[in-house]
Amino acid sequence: MSQRVAVSFKINGKEVTLLALPEQSLLRLLRENGYVEVKCGCEEGDCGTCTVLLDGLSVKSCVTPACACEGHEVWTATGLSLQERIGQLLRNNFAKYGASQCGFCTPGMVVTGMNYLMNGGTADRHAIRAAISGNLCRCTGYQKIIDAIYYTAKELQEEAAG
Amino acid sequence: MIKKGIGMACMFYPNGSTGKANPAGVFIKMNHDGTAVVNVGATDIGQGSNTCMAQIAAQEMGLKLSQVRVVTGDTEVTPYDAGTGACRVTYIAGNAVQKTAGRVKEQLLNAAARKMGVIHSGQLVIEDGEIFLRYWPAKRMTIAEAATYSERVLGRPIIAVDSYSPATMPLDEEDGQGMPFEVSIYATQIAEVEVDTDTGEVKVTKLVAVHDCGNMINPMLVEGQIEGGVATGIGYGLYEQIMEDPVKGGILNPSLATYQIPTSLDMPGELITDCIEIPEEKGPFGAKGVSEPTCNPTAPAIINAIYNATGVRIRDLPATREKVLFGLRELERKEEG
Repeated sequence: MSQRVAVSFKINGKEVTLLALPEQSLLRLLRENGYVEVKCGCEEGDCGTCTVLLDGLSVKSCVTPACACEGHEVWTATGLSLQERIGQLLRNNFAKYGASQCGFCTPGMVVTGMNYLMNGGTADRHAIRAAISGNLCRCTGYQKIIDAIYYTAKELQEEAAG
Repeated sequence: MIKKGIGMACMFYPNGSTGKANPAGVFIKMNHDGTAVVNVGATDIGQGSNTCMAQIAAQEMGLKLSQVRVVTGDTEVTPYDAGTGACRVTYIAGNAVQKTAGRVKEQLLNAAARKMGVIHSGQLVIEDGEIFLRYWPAKRMTIAEAATYSERVLGRPIIAVDSYSPATMPLDEEDGQGMPFEVSIYATQIAEVEVDTDTGEVKVTKLVAVHDCGNMINPMLVEGQIEGGVATGIGYGLYEQIMEDPVKGGILNPSLATYQIPTSLDMPGELITDCIEIPEEKGPFGAKGVSEPTCNPTAPAIINAIYNATGVRIRDLPATREKVLFGLRELERKEEG
């Protein structure tokens, strides 16, 4: 049995030290410690429902080694949609435009959408389609997810324009 | 070279199969605060049937949507249902909910009639959580008061149980005639594709999906179902295929990396959905199902569009690049004679 090692990093703005197995993925470590909003889908980097923000960029946590996160900053869908203002807007628009059906892809879609919006993404449907193309959804046909991100971007643009 | 084409597919689909029993059970409990708990056997798997059931129950009982709570997915408390599949939940479970809610309404009106001293409960109207006299609307009481009166004074807590199953009519063994299902759902989809004749790649650039699901209980959910169904149909028509190892057996592509489902970029740039609302008299508030028919006409429409663009007739799904290229080569060979 491998020995657990202490990994210290920031999660949703809070400093934590968690005990990880050397070969453990960030996904498994997070879920073990109660961050179950990070969903476990294919666990081989294809479906994207385990997406989290790592230092402001979206990564698939199932293929991110937990120990590599020492000293870094991780945000999950719950943290983003409760604590970040853009995240709150996006969450409301997911509800408003019906962007969630079975809901399994939703946490990953929210994080990927946030990655797009926080890195200067604009209200451009084609760019949004490309941005979420690494996240699979079987229910919605993506249209309402694109709508939710599109209208959030539009709100932010209108706000910036005053 | 990129070739463009347009294809269309029309369909009808059975709703409420009658070959054998196909029931949905419901029971409703009215609380004395005016809220109702609706126990439905049909499980919401994300399509939003809980919302639809709450809407149907609220409308029938005259309650506000916020006064209705739907309980599903817990077989310890929910009655039997034949399952969430095809497109039977809105139609069959919806009918069961409407029937049961009708019984609750009857009990509420009877209690209200007794309390208000009205002889016929038919003179009462139930709406938005209140019961009032049709010709004297000022004379009114809340549903909570009626439920409490029924419970505490009449000694009859308001509770109703009912179910719905389409009339069973097995097909004639001799000639196969009969009525295999209670109602039909209709739809037409039109696809516009671009076929790359060098690679065989097919891209759906535009898709129009028009469905008849009777009266829509919840237009946003219907739209979501159609868009999702189109995505599934595109996967079925162009990408998805389980590959088996012919020698050793087993599945060769058991992961999402090798079994390709459509991503956001595989969806048509323009996807237009619409519904023609023809009320279905047998359905709850004129509704029929919508879900499974949404993915049925997509692949045929795409295949017809490929034929229209290139003359290649694909007869076995999915229309992979190899199959389209092979078809193009065949055509060239024939032309050269």
